[in-house]
Amino acid sequence: MNCKNWEERIALYSGGDPGPTSGADIERHLVECAGCRTFANGIKHGLELLRSAHREPIAAAHFTAVRAGVLARLAQENEQRRPWRWWLWVPGLTAALAVVAVFLLVRPAETPRVRVAAAVRPSEDAPVPLRPSESVVPRVRVTRVRPHRTVAPVPRMPGPPPLVEPLVVKLITSDPDIVIYWIADRKGEDE
Amino acid sequence: MKALEFPATTPPLDGPESLSNVIEAAKSGDLAPFETLMRRHERLVLVTALRLLGKLEDAQDASQEVFLRLYRNLGKVQASDNLPGWLYRVTVNVCHDARRRRPDETSVEEAAELVSRGADPQQTATRREELRALELSLRLLSYKERAAVVLRDLEGLSTEEVAHILSTSQATVRSQIFKARIKMKDFVERYFRRRV
Repeated sequence: MNCKNWEERIALYSGGDPGPTSGADIERHLVECAGCRTFANGIKHGLELLRSAHREPIAAAHFTAVRAGVLARLAQENEQRRPWRWWLWVPGLTAALAVVAVFLLVRPAETPRVRVAAAVRPSEDAPVPLRPSESVVPRVRVTRVRPHRTVAPVPRMPGPPPLVEPLVVKLITSDPDIVIYWIADRKGEDE
Repeated sequence: MKALEFPATTPPLDGPESLSNVIEAAKSGDLAPFETLMRRHERLVLVTALRLLGKLEDAQDASQEVFLRLYRNLGKVQASDNLPGWLYRVTVNVCHDARRRRPDETSVEEAAELVSRGADPQQTATRREELRALELSLRLLSYKERAAVVLRDLEGLSTEEVAHILSTSQATVRSQIFKARIKMKDFVERYFRRRV
């Protein structure tokens, strides 16, 4: 009997997967066909041997080796993702804070703020008050002079007529006991 | 696509260490919960890789790669809620890549030689040789056939689950399993020199 068309169904059925054909039909054919019974037994025997061969347990050490390898790789990757390690940047940050603290301790005391209260002309009887827009708050600036740099002369712009009389500016500080007079001699500036 | 579950192979974690909690803890970068996750699924991964590759060293390398991919895709795995299925699929893919990079032709030649020699297990073959012969019989299969047989006949998954893992249809899986079983039957019969 030519049972080629039964082989696939029997092979699947022998492994516990009947597929589209019902198990009853296959069983009925196996009762009738000795060749297909042999074929089915061969499939079952091969599967049993295969399953028995792969039933061998794997030693626990092999699982441990896999786990250890994975954890080592992950730890290494985590280290590579953190270039700024705390044991490197914490001492550096501490040193930077110390430098800032030393700078704050040794720098000169703050200069009292000064505001311009009035400007007077000595030749006049009454002092001339400054407009609010002319009030100036002088600031203390530390400038570094570089000897190799030269300042190009700025071309003079035509300005107001020169003042002959000196200008006196009275500076009132936040300390009531300190009053500063600033006398500006404008003579010869335009010469 | 329907999410398949694999209750026979990996029952869910119980109690406070539920799978979701363990994955959530592992996502924070803590390696201890991830080690718990590995312990839970290491048999699935290593045994499947060993059956697909045939060599323990190769299977260990593949297993490490699978778990590294798991660590990098914990978010996706948690969302899919089907960790065993994901692990099976990644294991099959990683082993496929490993075989493509390093084809094991010597084993195929060895298997062919064993068949032609036709050793009689009743007299000469030891249990180790028999196991080796059965292992080599798998090498005669194509990778897809082998993956189908390993998942269906050795891991005990259903045809539907195998189709889901291999991203193919159930009809294709049945065809692959049918061909693989026929080839293995022929190999066993020729190797043991008898009709069963």
